[in-house]
Amino acid sequence: MSRDRHSKKEVEAALAYAESMGWRIEKATGHAWGRLYCPFNNRQCRCGEFCVISIWSTPKNPGNFARQIRRVVDNCRGEAEVN
Amino acid sequence: MQEYEFELKYAVPAGLTLEMIEHRLFEGGCDDALPGVGQKGRLALAFHRNASSAQRAVNSALRDVGHALPELRLVEVGPDWVGVSEVAGLFEFSRQYMLKLINQNQETFPLPLHEGKAALWHLAEVLAWFVEYQGRTVDASLCDVAAFTRVFNIAREFRGLNDAQRRQAVRLAEAG
Repeated sequence: MSRDRHSKKEVEAALAYAESMGWRIEKATGHAWGRLYCPFNNRQCRCGEFCVISIWSTPKNPGNFARQIRRVVDNCRGEAEVN
Repeated sequence: MQEYEFELKYAVPAGLTLEMIEHRLFEGGCDDALPGVGQKGRLALAFHRNASSAQRAVNSALRDVGHALPELRLVEVGPDWVGVSEVAGLFEFSRQYMLKLINQNQETFPLPLHEGKAALWHLAEVLAWFVEYQGRTVDASLCDVAAFTRVFNIAREFRGLNDAQRRQAVRLAEAG
């Protein structure tokens, strides 16, 4: 499936990683480039608030922001396995 | 300048759309936070902020969010209260291994502040234990944040007391 790429390459790589783990991307307009939805967004899921995250078009520090996205995705996976 | 990572959690009143929240956060200088909006009525902000101290980092973030979205109410400043899974995740242990560590070290492991279906500890105490008893090195900025969030959350609790209760709490604290 094709989608628009994020203009910050670190963020784009983190988004591609999230997609490979089953996360879904929805484009948005405004300061948020889009939103990322966890595949387990249900009662079993332990991501809590981070089941849905807003992705800035221009995060202050793209490298840090990309790392935070990866961490959310990794936490989600870990918890899903425990359950 | 040092980088500090911490999380602010807020209660969001009905009527604020996600677009409005995102817009005002971004315009208000919170582009160094990752917004988590997966739970109805809640907003979690995972900050990654540069400042000269943990206190300055957290306080400036609280101020920025307060100006951008004054209708939000603060629920929690973290990382402070942590459970077994969170500590395990931090040190990249399995949950099972973390439980084993706690059980094998009951003499020295910090006492939980709450025990029930799930036990909770202050992260600052758990980090100090890992340094002292397990010889682990722990990220200095994480220690600074955990020490500050603990004091911050206790201060918030304290603020919720009336004058008589505050005097009583101080007497109890000083009596040890």
